[in-house]
Amino acid sequence: MLATQTPLLRLDGITKRFGNVTALDQVSLEIQGGEIHTLLGENGAGKSTLIKILGGIYQPDAGTLWSEEEPISLKNVAAADHYQIRLIHQELSLAPNLTVAENIFLGREPATCGFLRKRELNRQAAALIQELGLQEIRDVTATVATLSTAQQQLVEIARALSQKARVLVLDEPTSSLSEQEVEALFQTLRRLRAQDVGIIYISHRMEEIMRLSDRITVLRDGKSVGTALTGEVDTETLIRWMVGRDIKEHFPRPPYRPGDVALKVSQLSNAHVHDISFEVRYGEVLGFAGLVGAGRTELARALFGIDRIEQGTIQIDECVTQIRSPQEALQQGLVLVPEDRKQQGLITEQSVAFNITLPWLKEWIHGCAFHYQTHDAIVDRTVKRFGVRLSTPDQSIRDLSGGNQQKVLVGRWMEQPPKILILDEPTRGIDVGAREDLYRIIGELVSQGMALILISSDLDEVLNISHRIGTFREGHLTGVYPAESVSAEQIMQQLTGGSSA
Amino acid sequence: MKVVKQMVPLLAAIVILLLLFRIWVPTFLMPENMLDLTQQISVNTILALGMTLVILVGGIDLSVGAMVALVGTTTVYCLTALSGDSQNLFMLLAALLAGLGVAAIFGTFHGIAASKTSMPPFIITLASMLIARGCALRFNSGLPMPIGEQQTWFLAIGNGRLFDVVPVPVVIMLSLFILMALLLHRTRFGQHVYALGGNREAALYTGIPVVRVEIMVYLLCSLMAGIAGMIHTSQLYSAEPGSGEMFELTAIAAVVVGGTSFTGGRGTMFGTIIGAVIIGILDKGLNQAGIHYSLQYIVKGAVILVAVYLDVRRNR
Repeated sequence: MLATQTPLLRLDGITKRFGNVTALDQVSLEIQGGEIHTLLGENGAGKSTLIKILGGIYQPDAGTLWSEEEPISLKNVAAADHYQIRLIHQELSLAPNLTVAENIFLGREPATCGFLRKRELNRQAAALIQELGLQEIRDVTATVATLSTAQQQLVEIARALSQKARVLVLDEPTSSLSEQEVEALFQTLRRLRAQDVGIIYISHRMEEIMRLSDRITVLRDGKSVGTALTGEVDTETLIRWMVGRDIKEHFPRPPYRPGDVALKVSQLSNAHVHDISFEVRYGEVLGFAGLVGAGRTELARALFGIDRIEQGTIQIDECVTQIRSPQEALQQGLVLVPEDRKQQGLITEQSVAFNITLPWLKEWIHGCAFHYQTHDAIVDRTVKRFGVRLSTPDQSIRDLSGGNQQKVLVGRWMEQPPKILILDEPTRGIDVGAREDLYRIIGELVSQGMALILISSDLDEVLNISHRIGTFREGHLTGVYPAESVSAEQIMQQLTGGSSA
Repeated sequence: MKVVKQMVPLLAAIVILLLLFRIWVPTFLMPENMLDLTQQISVNTILALGMTLVILVGGIDLSVGAMVALVGTTTVYCLTALSGDSQNLFMLLAALLAGLGVAAIFGTFHGIAASKTSMPPFIITLASMLIARGCALRFNSGLPMPIGEQQTWFLAIGNGRLFDVVPVPVVIMLSLFILMALLLHRTRFGQHVYALGGNREAALYTGIPVVRVEIMVYLLCSLMAGIAGMIHTSQLYSAEPGSGEMFELTAIAAVVVGGTSFTGGRGTMFGTIIGAVIIGILDKGLNQAGIHYSLQYIVKGAVILVAVYLDVRRNR
């Protein structure tokens, strides 16, 4: 039935390159009116690039876009707007200081002679919320900052739909929603589908996808691997398309030779995490799985001395220790590589060498004496050991690829290897090659006896690299399981709160 | 080498300005005139050295001008109260320490407030600018306090000449420049400053004691303002509670003309001293060329805009 219609939007051989990296390679895709078309793919498969092309943010290097059999060019955001393509980004883009109504009609406020008509604004917003069935938003005059993340997500959706939409693109809209809110969103989407809107839906959650979408297209390494009607394909096939090879091979788990307990945390609580107890041994990878905001990063920050610990104890090598600052954590042999490379990791103004040597200033600066030999040796060792690809250590770290930046951020600590290493989303946004390098590095470190905590939202990664897996939900550590005897489904149930049928 | 290369346009600007004013004012390049120039820029340069650190960590210190006045009045008040009609080296040191102590209190406060709270440094130092100015006006009912003629040592700080040639303020300025340049470019502290200014969060995760570094930066800036205040007071032969007004802006101008990024993380002490020289030459040259002071403001404003525009364009 779908094939007979003219597609609302058709992508034909779209290619996009960034430098030497091909983000999208000859991708073709079509969206019919009245269908929900899911885009599936691993991180870095090219989904976000594709969305940005649809939104007029990126221009393709090759290929054509067709709107109802008419070639179009989305050369900027306004053009995408003109064709009524509405995007809902993964990151929220609301003005937190304005009200719900003001956000929904931002830039299009009803006004007379330039004077805002507040009452009319609120009335229209309330009507829209009503029409979309977003009962979660009770008060359109509430300031956005006072809403929960889920409610903010819904405001975002309301804003996208406040103007007529022909094509609606949603990028992982459910990542921070509760079961009920997801259901409400799905109803809204189904209603829009009935109104002939074409919906592109991006998600990792297999169960959701199977329940909601009409068609599924899988992207892998920038290529579209296949498209299928939802009824005619099973989960196993989709996963095989996504990874393109055996998962076990893809994620090499380090050999398991656990030693003594390196870190033992007992009943740790603060504003973000509650009653956390676990231990990790030398030579062991403890994976932390959870949805975004489940408390894994917050726990890491508390252990590293950035956030205050209100209750509970930390033992390193069976000695109770106080960690009140990152300096104290480092003295105790605990290192955290944070999740956001740009915001928390890199000094982007500076060179690769500056970033590598920053933790080791004591080694090569004594008083006013710079020991350049030591400095160069540290840089050299790190670059060689981890195969960082660069032209010269003096080049700006900004110019390195994401994978190489990450290798610098992890690798620089190995100058004097810590006892315990916490990696927070180490493979987010880096290409497949660099990811495999990082897995190799993790393997080497662990077989040398390091205790490693791996925080990752990539379930396959955390399942296959770790020896044991802790599951986080709403600030609680809900369980720790041996990786050999637990399935992805069991973990997913823990993360989402059980009833996943 | 890279640093020197970045300075080429600024050094060229100095040469061009010098030659330009030489055409205008025939005596401009005479040694005595040049010595005079270095003496005149010393107070601003010292302020700018401290300001460079603060701007490098992404902050600002608007209080340095008021600090010049407050440290001046405090020092002279103590000096007069302690030594009376005579001159006593011990009492002089005590007075100088009292002045620097006041500066240190303000600087430490700035550092703590900037690193431990989310108050913007602009507001913190704007407030303490008013407080410091008010404190300065508390002395002697806000009237100038002349320095006794017998205080030859204190007067020498601003007016003396080493070996009868080099003005003492210039000696102090150059010593402080070397000290600050060593501190910024040859110590761990300096690397910490660059890391903090480049990305505070990343510096925190790398184990840099960000709070301590930030307090140290603001403390050093206030101490520089204190030293500048003593020189300025000595040059005026009296402590003026109203002195030092707008000094903070000239210091900031020298720093940004010298190529320090206003968002932090990039800049050098050498650049700052060059920036101060450029502004000094403009000041002196326009003055000696008999340009009306209204035009001087306009020219200086334009030069700052052009210098910073060129710097921004070169770096992006």
